[in-house]
Amino acid sequence: MSELRYVADVAEREFRTVLRTPTLLAVGLGYVVLVGGIGWLGGTGAYLALVLDLLTPVELLVPVLSFAVGYRALLGDRESGELETIRTYPIAGHWYVVGVYLGRAVVVLGLVLLSFVLAGSVVPTSDTAQLSVVASHPTADSPALYLRYALATALFALVALAIATLVSAAARSTRGGLALATGGVVALVVGLDSALLGSVSGEHVPTAVLALSPNSAYRSLVLELSVAPTGVAVPEGPTALLGTAALLAWLAASLALATRLAWR
Amino acid sequence: MSTRQTGRAEEQPAEQRPAVEVTDVSHSFDGLDVLGDVSFTVPGGTVACVVGPNGSGKTTLLRLVADLLEPDAGSVTVAGDGGRRVGYLAQQPAFRRQFTVAETVGFYGSLVGDATDVDAVLDRVGLSAVADRRVDALSGGMRRLLGLAQAMVGDPSVFVLDEPATGLDPTMARHLREVIGALAADGDAVLLSTHDLHTVDRIADMVLLVDRGELVAAGPPAELLAEAGATTLDDAIETLGHGGGTVGVSPGLHGGDRA
Repeated sequence: MSELRYVADVAEREFRTVLRTPTLLAVGLGYVVLVGGIGWLGGTGAYLALVLDLLTPVELLVPVLSFAVGYRALLGDRESGELETIRTYPIAGHWYVVGVYLGRAVVVLGLVLLSFVLAGSVVPTSDTAQLSVVASHPTADSPALYLRYALATALFALVALAIATLVSAAARSTRGGLALATGGVVALVVGLDSALLGSVSGEHVPTAVLALSPNSAYRSLVLELSVAPTGVAVPEGPTALLGTAALLAWLAASLALATRLAWR
Repeated sequence: MSTRQTGRAEEQPAEQRPAVEVTDVSHSFDGLDVLGDVSFTVPGGTVACVVGPNGSGKTTLLRLVADLLEPDAGSVTVAGDGGRRVGYLAQQPAFRRQFTVAETVGFYGSLVGDATDVDAVLDRVGLSAVADRRVDALSGGMRRLLGLAQAMVGDPSVFVLDEPATGLDPTMARHLREVIGALAADGDAVLLSTHDLHTVDRIADMVLLVDRGELVAAGPPAELLAEAGATTLDDAIETLGHGGGTVGVSPGLHGGDRA
């Protein structure tokens, strides 16, 4: 019980730190405006069309947001020397890292969900008829598709933040942290997908291999949960279960490794 | 072979109980020996000042006592059987700039699991007047006092303070000495490093002279003066040390205060 209390206290401190850092607030606001703006500029009257409008930009922007919020989470305390002071307190390293992660996760989740509320508000207020790219399946459109998309994106954001926390634990300087964070975003957005596809010869790529990339796993999750139910043909990919399991594995492994690196 | 132990206090006065026991401790960084075969005991209620040239191993020694490093060999035993055993003040104390002084102490209080009287702690170190000031608006000296306040959180029985007087004006330095004296009067052991022999002269019950990774002398200031046949601590340290100046490194022991 006391461990959970420590986690909550550390998380609260992280949450307040982010809220009191103008640069991070500006990045967060920019994210919300950008995603919301993309939704509104699309002006679609269908949730499914909105999902398809947002899918690629969000796949790029969520890692950027998560890395911006998380890449200094542990690095900052180590650079200043405060982590050394914290280590003299009776709190286990893994609980501290979990607290740091959770505090920042609340911010990231809040921003991601706020942007979805903003973008999603275009559908009920749009004058556009609910016929766009899914004109042949108008009755299949539903807010539930969008809700599933939002939840999948929330999970993806948590995974990206966990990887950013790992980067923060591994970096030894601000410059190194920035380089690692940039590399992490690029690897997450294009690198892993390309590497996986390049490593598999032949026309058929095993879906289990695609699940190894967080972006592929996320994309497949969205397509299966929010697009395929409407009858629209989607590329073959990992199942929702496999995609979710892969994302959770990335999350757990990143945090476990971050603990080892941060507390050494 | 290294060990780290915590011991339940024996039934004897704090002044006689060993609060810190360092036995045959050695430590190296990347193959460079920084401390070799260091042994000493600090009883409760004692202010022990670790002195020596830059790079002699003072900070490494303090970090070993604070459990921030594991000795390569030997053992470090610190009194206490739970909660926070060592209050630690780093050489360059740093805190989140976005928080106030009171919020900072409150956060550290939350890590020891009981309700810390933030006002009382701040009052003890003389920071009550700036309790609502953000950390980034504090002077270097005030930040050090905030570090001392943080060290007091959790009521540890051993304090490890790495150059606590650095950057303090005379008034703050005097206040710091009073606080340290009060801690010792309460039965706590205070182990601090310093280059300020004036401070040593005023508050030390015990001096630990570290030079080139070796503990070359340990005892009350008067004993060190007698042993060296000197009239000032400066002369005694010069006589008892290796005399290698501020950055001397012996062939087998390479120093590094922040290593």
